Amino acid sequence: MFDWMDRIGEDVLTEDQREVLRDSVGVNSAGYDPWGFNLETAERTLRIVRPLYRDYFRVQVHDIDRVPDRRIIVVANHGGQIPIDGMLLATAFMLDLDPPRLVRGMVERWVPGLPWFSTLFTRCGQVVGDPANAEELLRRDQSLMVFPEGVKGISKSWFKRYQLQSFGTGFVRLALETKTTILPVGIVGSDDIYPAVASSRRLGRLIGAPAFPITPTWPWFGALGMVPLPVPVSLHFGEPIDFQGDPDESEKTTRERVNHVRDVVQGLVNGGLKARPELRQLDELARWGRR
Amino acid sequence: MKVLLTGASGQLARLAAIQLLAEGHDVVGMDVRRRPHPDVQAPFEYVKRYDHRTVAEVFREHRPDAMIHLGVRAGGFQAEAKSRYTQNVLGTRHLLELSVKHRLRRVIVLGTFHVYGAHPHNPTFLAEDAPLRAVQTFPELQDVVELDHTVTSFLWRHRDVPTVLLRPANMVGPHLRNQVSVLLRGPYCPRLIGFNPMMQFIHESDVVDAVVRMLDHDGCGIYNIAGEGAVPWSRAIATSGARPLPLPTWLAYPGVRVLAKLQTAFPAHLMDFFRYPVIVSDQAIRRELGWAPRVNVVDTLRSIDDIPADAGSRAAAFEGSRPLGL
Repeated sequence: MFDWMDRIGEDVLTEDQREVLRDSVGVNSAGYDPWGFNLETAERTLRIVRPLYRDYFRVQVHDIDRVPDRRIIVVANHGGQIPIDGMLLATAFMLDLDPPRLVRGMVERWVPGLPWFSTLFTRCGQVVGDPANAEELLRRDQSLMVFPEGVKGISKSWFKRYQLQSFGTGFVRLALETKTTILPVGIVGSDDIYPAVASSRRLGRLIGAPAFPITPTWPWFGALGMVPLPVPVSLHFGEPIDFQGDPDESEKTTRERVNHVRDVVQGLVNGGLKARPELRQLDELARWGRR
Repeated sequence: MKVLLTGASGQLARLAAIQLLAEGHDVVGMDVRRRPHPDVQAPFEYVKRYDHRTVAEVFREHRPDAMIHLGVRAGGFQAEAKSRYTQNVLGTRHLLELSVKHRLRRVIVLGTFHVYGAHPHNPTFLAEDAPLRAVQTFPELQDVVELDHTVTSFLWRHRDVPTVLLRPANMVGPHLRNQVSVLLRGPYCPRLIGFNPMMQFIHESDVVDAVVRMLDHDGCGIYNIAGEGAVPWSRAIATSGARPLPLPTWLAYPGVRVLAKLQTAFPAHLMDFFRYPVIVSDQAIRRELGWAPRVNVVDTLRSIDDIPADAGSRAAAFEGSRPLGL
């Protein structure tokens, strides 16, 4: 039962894997890349995240062999109030893929103002979601992880679980411009980690966040109410998508491509849900809540 | 080429003068501080300020072919705002007007990367065309931003005087006594609790190299110059041998503002640079000049404590030294 405690001290990466990662990221003489990624800090974080990944959320990956051997933009569904899904997806690329890959998540613009978290995110390879950052990273052959639903997706109420919200179009134009492959991923389980029954934008603005979720336990039980539910999470990797075309095409054409990616991700999520009858049982309740 | 070097009493100008002389150029030093460097075998002109009448006399007497303007005053205390504006903005304006009159073949101005401002929305890699946001957060930086605009508009209006504006990242080195070098050399270095932004450091010799190489280059434009790479502020403190002094933000900002009023600590606007990263892209100068920093970031930071014996000697024996102030 307590075997996860032994694993905290174990090395996450082998020396060869570290070398591959350092090479692919391009760190300077002090061991940092320009955005602030540092392998030593990232590995120390991974040691803490690994028991969460393996033992708490019991993550299962499906078809991870579909990850192509070139730079990619990972596109996934977003949910669960705080970006635990992003953490687990990025961890999957480190722990369940050989050789491990660093995918750079694009964080909200208000994150640099958060003490401690801003530094931790940066050291682990996450960057501010600015188009200039995304373009420069792809130009340097780095892979990105985006959640095109953005705040709409992560802060949606539990009653809309596993229903993808509208996608932003930036990632498709970026993929066309830089000729980068899109890898769709469906995440199942994340929307049940924090079942938010309501959400207040006004309270969120008060603390500088986009939304303030209210769950059956939060904020009623204080810090205890912040403990995420230990829902098993499964990651379903789809077939890579390569778009050809003019990056300056009309919004209508781009929208069609974006909707195609969105349908693929929704398909992966639905497929994943089929294999999880315990989560499907809650559908009835969610449907009732939507009414 | 005969080069007029402003800010000649500074340490950066001294290093530049030595390299220019070694490459066979003639150098004329000029400064508002009467502190010529005894080891620089070149005439030195002391001027009270960079006003039109005084500087015109230096131009008439020495007839320079090029000007390297290193005489931009740093700092950002509100109390000094007026005198800094006079020197940095009006002084530079006079120098530029005279360089048109005397048809100089090259004008190089050393600005600063502070003009971009430490803004939480900054993308990593600010190119030269990025917005200059410094005044948004700190009006104290108004003079350097306006200096930047003055040089940029001059650059387009007078294409017959090829002008270059350099925006270097944090310059550090054993000879320099600018804010960041002094902080890193001191026993304690402030850092904000919870924040540890990436920062770029460029070695003094790499700045001098970029400036001198610009002299032979014939294009005009604006170029960022940065070092080998970025390191977190805490790592920079550790590498340079200082000890961090962690401060909570709620205490640091008002505290520094009070100290800045007394002109004892460093300017308050620097606090934001300890909070948000400002990383500039120096791809343009690397591509167009083939310039690249030779000192890596770790060696750059380690070098600041090796204060050489020749720095700080202030003997007045200097060839042709006489005050020109009117």
